[in-house]
Amino acid sequence: MIGSKLLRRAAIAGLIGGIAIIYLALVGMIEKFEARHLIGDWLNLGRLMLALPPLLAAYLATRPRVQAGRVVRLSRGPAITAGLVSGVLAGGLAALWVAFVHLFPDGAVRNIFVAVSPTLLSIMTFGKSLLVGALLLVVVGAVLGALGGAYQTLPERLRRPLSIGLATTFMFALLQRIIPQLLFYLNLDSTWLYSTTFGGLTPIGAVVVFVVATALPALWASRGQMVRQRVAQLPPARRRTLNVSRLLLLAVVLVLLPRLIGSTLSQVLGQIGIYLLMGLGLNIVVGYAGLLDLGYVAFFATGAYLTALFTGAHLVTSLGAVASPDFVLHLNFYAAVPLVILVAAFIGLLIGAPVLRLRGDYLAIVTLGFGEIARVLVASSWLQKFTGGPQGLRDITDAHIGSVGFRDPQPFYYLVLAFCALAIFVSVRLADSRVGRAWSAMREDELAAEAMGISTVRYKLLAFAMGAAVGCLSGTLFAVQIGSLTPDSFTIVVSITALAVVVLGGMGSIRGVVVGTMLLIGLPGLLDEFEEYRLLVYGAALITVMILRPQGLIPNVRRMRELQEEEVAQDQWLKEEAPAVTAAGGGGGS
Amino acid sequence: MSTLLEIRGLVKHFGGLNAVDGVDLDVEAGEILSVIGPNGAGKTTLFNVVTGLYPPNGGSIVFDGHHLVGLKPNQVCSLGIARTFQTVRLFPNMTVLENAMVGQHSRTRSGLLGAVLRLPHTRAEEQSVREQARDALAFFGSRLASFREDQPAMALSYANRRRLEIARAMATIPKLILLDEPTAGMNPKETEEMISLVGKLRDERGLTIVVIEHDMRLVKGVSDRVVALDYGRKIADGTFAEVSSDVRVIEAYLGKGAVKAG
Amino acid sequence: MTEQSGGPVETAPRPRTVTLAERFPIHRLTLLAVAVLVTFGVVTGSWKTIAQGGVTGAGWRLFLVFGIAQGSIYALIALGYSLVYGILLMINFAHGEVFMAGAFASYFVAQSLESKGLLDRDPIPSLALLFLTAILVSMLVAVLLERVAYRPLRNAPRLVPLITAIGASLFLQYTFSGFFGSDAKGYPSVKSLNGTFNILGFPVSRTQVLTILTAIVMMVGLRLFIARTKTGKAMRAVSEDKEIASLMGININQVVVTTFAIGGILAGVAGVLFALNFSEVDSFMGFVPGIKAFTAAVLGGIGSVTGAAIGGLILGVAESIGPVLLLTGIHVPATNQLRDVVAFTILVLVLVFRPGGILGTGEPEKA
Repeated sequence: MIGSKLLRRAAIAGLIGGIAIIYLALVGMIEKFEARHLIGDWLNLGRLMLALPPLLAAYLATRPRVQAGRVVRLSRGPAITAGLVSGVLAGGLAALWVAFVHLFPDGAVRNIFVAVSPTLLSIMTFGKSLLVGALLLVVVGAVLGALGGAYQTLPERLRRPLSIGLATTFMFALLQRIIPQLLFYLNLDSTWLYSTTFGGLTPIGAVVVFVVATALPALWASRGQMVRQRVAQLPPARRRTLNVSRLLLLAVVLVLLPRLIGSTLSQVLGQIGIYLLMGLGLNIVVGYAGLLDLGYVAFFATGAYLTALFTGAHLVTSLGAVASPDFVLHLNFYAAVPLVILVAAFIGLLIGAPVLRLRGDYLAIVTLGFGEIARVLVASSWLQKFTGGPQGLRDITDAHIGSVGFRDPQPFYYLVLAFCALAIFVSVRLADSRVGRAWSAMREDELAAEAMGISTVRYKLLAFAMGAAVGCLSGTLFAVQIGSLTPDSFTIVVSITALAVVVLGGMGSIRGVVVGTMLLIGLPGLLDEFEEYRLLVYGAALITVMILRPQGLIPNVRRMRELQEEEVAQDQWLKEEAPAVTAAGGGGGS
Repeated sequence: MSTLLEIRGLVKHFGGLNAVDGVDLDVEAGEILSVIGPNGAGKTTLFNVVTGLYPPNGGSIVFDGHHLVGLKPNQVCSLGIARTFQTVRLFPNMTVLENAMVGQHSRTRSGLLGAVLRLPHTRAEEQSVREQARDALAFFGSRLASFREDQPAMALSYANRRRLEIARAMATIPKLILLDEPTAGMNPKETEEMISLVGKLRDERGLTIVVIEHDMRLVKGVSDRVVALDYGRKIADGTFAEVSSDVRVIEAYLGKGAVKAG
Repeated sequence: MTEQSGGPVETAPRPRTVTLAERFPIHRLTLLAVAVLVTFGVVTGSWKTIAQGGVTGAGWRLFLVFGIAQGSIYALIALGYSLVYGILLMINFAHGEVFMAGAFASYFVAQSLESKGLLDRDPIPSLALLFLTAILVSMLVAVLLERVAYRPLRNAPRLVPLITAIGASLFLQYTFSGFFGSDAKGYPSVKSLNGTFNILGFPVSRTQVLTILTAIVMMVGLRLFIARTKTGKAMRAVSEDKEIASLMGININQVVVTTFAIGGILAGVAGVLFALNFSEVDSFMGFVPGIKAFTAAVLGGIGSVTGAAIGGLILGVAESIGPVLLLTGIHVPATNQLRDVVAFTILVLVLVFRPGGILGTGEPEKA
């Protein structure tokens, strides 16, 4: 039987799930995502949005709980029942809402909530009449809820491969623009995998992907341990060659990538690269040094405008005549870049200097202020002779070497790749050095760090300067990519995007920033319907990450300890690393 | 024997509160000096002012020929004064070894370029930093060594955290070490150990040590000289026997009526 | 005596020279340079403008009153920031959206009232309804924010709630734009608020009078509430020392919720006033006023109720008169954007030179 506490949890979860469905409907996602087919023509992203809340509500409500010091898992019966309750409530609430909307005269609700269109309502009633549709909602909710609850009761060794399988299938469905291109390049037929009529996976394709993606982790789980042991036993020289060959493989893939995915998608890669650079720069400021900079767009703008001005860009005049800014150099791109970095680093010092004494929150707001001031200055008529004002600058170099220009998506990708590799290299080296240690110490306890001989002034300035240098590089690339600049590109949204990338990926973790960029920039780039909701998702992601997993998706090991539950980490560590303690008795100390 | 630290007329007040009210103090090189006094007497404030955390409102501090007033804490540290804190202030998420390595910061120089390019000079320096850090940790035997090196500092037991803080301070290769209540929260066995440790610090490493302590066992077992503070003023200065029987000291701790019983 | 049987390590530190960077501290120089530049700019610009006499006395008066009205709105929003900061030591970055939510909600009510002609026929009950709606919605958003986004993070390192607040701000902005459309909505005007009153012989826009009066009433009310009521006392206790207050039997969570709710009420009122003054609402309207209100709070000394009021006033007037005063003289058009720069510049200057605010001490807060 189902306990009353569980019942309450399930009920609350279900109601929240229902609210989530209504929210998704009101904000327009359900209708807009209808067009993105995932599997065949029966599962599209919109329907998935409809289905996820009851599923997740049930799954989360039936999570194992800590009771009287032990972790208690639910057995199948109660879990499914609880899931049913959640699902029914979620579906029911949604159904009630649909019915409620129907009470109003046609279009009246739409006057206020712009997303409530007849199309939306028919989606939510599965195309049937109100009564049947509402009933269906409840039933579908119930089924999904039960599934969610049942899923929770599967043993771990089944659940993990299944989850990976589902996630992979979902990824494959989302990457419906990339993977067929890839297969095409490899001269493989992809029509069995992706439906040419609908765009998503074919049912058969989905099944195949799912089975393979589930089987592989299951296999790895049983054989993986052995492989890992074998690798650990390799002599260090061998292991180094293994690592190097892994890196080489990665390099090869990266170099071949634009060929594999075509020109339009290479543009997305270019976009990812620019934000990756920004993320890496912000990662130094926020992740390594612990300084929350909300005005990062200032460096981005500086890099872009300086590059333009140092390589002989022109003002945009309404007459179409060619006019030069009051200050302009005509350097070669590759000669200009070091100069841009130097100037940007200096500006980083200027920005950092006044804010050194400020605490976290105040620092954030001041940098925000700087970012906004930068934007206004760049757009102002006052500085128009230098920055081109609202019209901006044009005719920016394409960073050519000889006759090879880098503005086209594919060559641009290589330019970006080179810069990103450089930035990653510098970040990695910095992290594991005296400078990195000083930053970590400063981040963890500024007072103690100062008492241990670390000049916080110097290292904060250094962080700002490094962050500025890397950030300005991303602006440089942006200028080359577009060839012209207008102030509209330099809003606070850029700063917030960079922050979201770093936070979601993992503050202080380079791999995290890469993953963060791929998710937050790549996905909206690939799937246009996400573009509209990009910032909404960023906002939700920031909140969710901070509450659930503040160390980010791919945490920096050190940061993970910092932000996660201390006791958990402590116990975990003691268990893993010091089995000898109890045996050694007094030798290990108190 | 030279005077390593010379404090004259030091004054520090916070608003209406005179935390340090005209203190004169000499610390001889190679001696172990204990500073005692009831809570609120100004002992930790004294440390804080000497190390540059707070600027004094008056007076002078001369250390090894350098004037300390007006210097920032990191400058004071590179001149050769290290300290521990009353509430242990480690870098909780850095490993034990890394905490100790941070101590070496002011004795090393490599910066941005060295880090990025891994110049030979930088690599040698990192090597030396590691060795020095390990050496400081080794002072505490096996407690902070081997597998413990890679544990995050917050995973350590309380006593080990205090030891690590001292190791970190040692790694700065100081001339003078200021220990702020090193045995607070320790059991008698650990306190015993600390007594011999402090002695070892002076004998084996040639350090001058000033200790703030409440535990009289440590004060008695360790000190060459004892200074007592009360309400920001020095009220006694001498050997442990002299100070512990000084009427004013007893009054400060136990109140006026207690003198009769003493 | 001691035996210098030195260990394997060197005992003598390298002699230390004061580095060049320390002798000429670059950050102090920069600060000095900035201070000089700003003072020079302000003085020169003002002088030139006044000398040229391009703005009449009536013109200055208009700017002044506008500045006071705008400042009143800022003050109301600033109080929300101050109160929350006083209790939780966090900046509720999303407070601007709380303000926006109230304004937006009142928009729908105003629209429906207008379509029925009630807005013009019965202005006083209509306005009351508008305020009530805004207050309720703003309160709801504020309390939800606290419950969902901030409470789980009460004890997290400081960076975390700040990032969450940024996320919440984004989320609210785009939720509202998703629900109601991203276009700006024209706020209906109330006929009885058009036109002017005669104050001290000068015509003053009625809307502005309403704004200033409402703000004063709300602030006085808040002052009384905090000083006289039990809840107000609890709020003061919690802002002094959270732990001790809880030991004295004060329910911290309740006080926090109340604080957020009060901030919401004030923001809601500010929302309607803003909408009445500028005749427009949109889902992004909260961002810039939010930052400006925060500037006002810091300017006056964050955590202080009087400070927020004074800060708001100063900021409003500075923003209104400032660009005209400083820039007309040197022939730079005083656009709206440059007006924003005034606020941001004040923000930066205050935080850099005097983070404690006008009423606070000169010391920056210790970590």
